[in-house]
Amino acid sequence: MRLLRNVFRRKVRSILTILGIVIGVFALIAMGSMAEKLTLLVDGGIEYYKDKAIVSEGGGMAFMASPMSKDRIKEVESIDGVKVAQAEINMLLEDLEAVNFGQPPMIVGTDLRGQEYESFEITFAKGRDLKEGDHKKVIVGSDLVNKLDAKVGKRIKIRGEKFEVIGILEKTLTGPDLTVVMSLADAQELYHKTLPDVLRKELKAEDLVTGITAFVDEDHDPDKVAKTIGKEIEGLSAMGPKAFQDQIGSAVGVFSAIITLIGLVALMVGGLSVVNTMSMSIAERTKEIGIRKAIGASSFKIIRQFLMESGVIGIIGGLIGLGLGIAFTSVANAAGNESGTALFLVTPRLAISAVLFALILGIIGGFFPAWRASRLNPVEALRYE
Amino acid sequence: MSDAMEGNLNQIVEVIDLHKSYRLGKNNFVHALRGTSLSIKKGGMTAIMGPSGSGKSTLMHIIGSLDTPSKGEVWLAGNRIDNLPKKKLPKLRASKMGFIFQGFNLIPTLTALENVALAAEYKGLSRKESAKLARERLDVVGLGDRIRHRQSELSGGEQHRVAIARALVNKPDIVLGDEPTGDLDTETSREIIQMMKEVNMTTGTTFVLVTHDPEVADSCDHQIQMRDGSIVDDSASKIDGSTKTLS
Ligand SMILES: Nc1ncnc2c1ncn2[C@@H]1O[C@H](COP(=O)(O)OP(=O)(O)OP(=O)(O)O)[C@@H](O)[C@H]1O
Ligand SMILES: [Mg+2]
Repeated sequence: MRLLRNVFRRKVRSILTILGIVIGVFALIAMGSMAEKLTLLVDGGIEYYKDKAIVSEGGGMAFMASPMSKDRIKEVESIDGVKVAQAEINMLLEDLEAVNFGQPPMIVGTDLRGQEYESFEITFAKGRDLKEGDHKKVIVGSDLVNKLDAKVGKRIKIRGEKFEVIGILEKTLTGPDLTVVMSLADAQELYHKTLPDVLRKELKAEDLVTGITAFVDEDHDPDKVAKTIGKEIEGLSAMGPKAFQDQIGSAVGVFSAIITLIGLVALMVGGLSVVNTMSMSIAERTKEIGIRKAIGASSFKIIRQFLMESGVIGIIGGLIGLGLGIAFTSVANAAGNESGTALFLVTPRLAISAVLFALILGIIGGFFPAWRASRLNPVEALRYE
Repeated sequence: MSDAMEGNLNQIVEVIDLHKSYRLGKNNFVHALRGTSLSIKKGGMTAIMGPSGSGKSTLMHIIGSLDTPSKGEVWLAGNRIDNLPKKKLPKLRASKMGFIFQGFNLIPTLTALENVALAAEYKGLSRKESAKLARERLDVVGLGDRIRHRQSELSGGEQHRVAIARALVNKPDIVLGDEPTGDLDTETSREIIQMMKEVNMTTGTTFVLVTHDPEVADSCDHQIQMRDGSIVDDSASKIDGSTKTLS
């Protein structure tokens, strides 16, 4: 390969340049895969909530579980446009020890009232869905299988209680991956135990609910229904899909954009080193350029040759960076999997754009030096020693 | 291909009143060529001699379309080439001319074969065809067993032969050599000249060689002497007895 020989004519220099690109692409993959993971999480949420309104006590965030009374269900269902209201318990699978990126593992208890209206598709890798009357049975999300050591038919411990695994979910790349689903009654019991003593004595487990999901009729706008719920029912607030997108989607979007930008900047720095390397390489090869012109190379061919060389530097750096990035994120995810927090997701679009970006950067970095080389006067270039 | 020139088609190169000056600073000019005229016969071997700085290389570069004159005309095989648009020059160089320069004129990262093939590729041949042609030419110059060697793995004489093979690969009308044997010992220099003569005889390719070596000049059939940017002696004009003998 003539091209590779030219690129590696100065080994150390080329390797350093490639390293610059490698680090840039690696940073882009590491940062970008975090952004991708978050984005998919939010996308999943948007998809899930598109025909629902999440009802909670007061004005708090839907995910923060504060108890409310089960009687609220009737009230919510009385609102025009609500098909059915499903009572839920949302709680952490285990108490958090540290601040956590992304979504923590969750327990969801549901009274299954909305089951037949569910539009969000979830398929089972193994086993079956929860049904009415199931007691001490759970469905486990794909990212929690390792952590909980779950197998269909096996009994696992959740918050100190034993449960039988009846189903394992297919990977969704979003919320359900980090979720254990059980019956409302089971979850109520678990939740009851976590309450402070004062509350525990006062409240009965079977009255506890942390959230209500209102399934909205197709011919009603869930955002409007959410608004109506908040207005008509004293002490409740509700969030429609748009509010979800505005509150969570935009915050995560900004965060994703920032970390992706950091990766891009790192890659740009790598791109600058390509400009430097190609300029030096072309200065060294002035005489060669003169010879090439004398034997009939057009300016176009000179430019093309040097662009191909810088493009190769970009591609090699890009592929190595991608490889390291994938290796790093999968090791980090595997380590995180123990605790149920996979932070990174290298999507095909991220991988392809990172390598493509490195290639384009290489070509852009090589363009100015190549263009200058193509304009060298052949006689002067030949005289150059 | 040739009708533009009313002149003699036996002349492959016709140079008319060529001037070249370089600007050094504001009002300081170097006149490298001052009204040079010459004709070079098709199929011949011409030697250009003269002291250092007399304008030999400048003349060769202009004939070879690598440089443009300040004034004057250059005709190649009946076509004027000094005023061609820049875009046409690569094709002209690739298809009509072969260059042999003094010193390191091979591309060091490429093998002998690739160096020779490159010229054919620039002319527009495919890689495969170019490699095939290059192999043939390297055989002609006796380097059939050295095609995978790089410059650093070839002796000085071998490097020159590769350069000759490269100059010949596109079957040019004319081969321009600027001191093609300048850094070789007498023995190798003789071999190289012998080889050029053979190619000249068998293919009819015209050679124009700048040289300081009287022996090389003697083995050519046409000698031109330059001094201070002018031709002071031209063996061709003596033979027809027609024109000028300066100095
Ligand atoms: N780019 C340039 N700028 C200024 N002066 C130049 C340039 N190129 C050549 N010259 C001058 O033009 C004159 C002729 O140079 P040229 O290279 O043609 O000489 P030459 O006959 O080939 O000499 P040599 O035998 O040493 O190679 C010299 O005086 C040289 O200094
Ligand atoms: Mg010279």
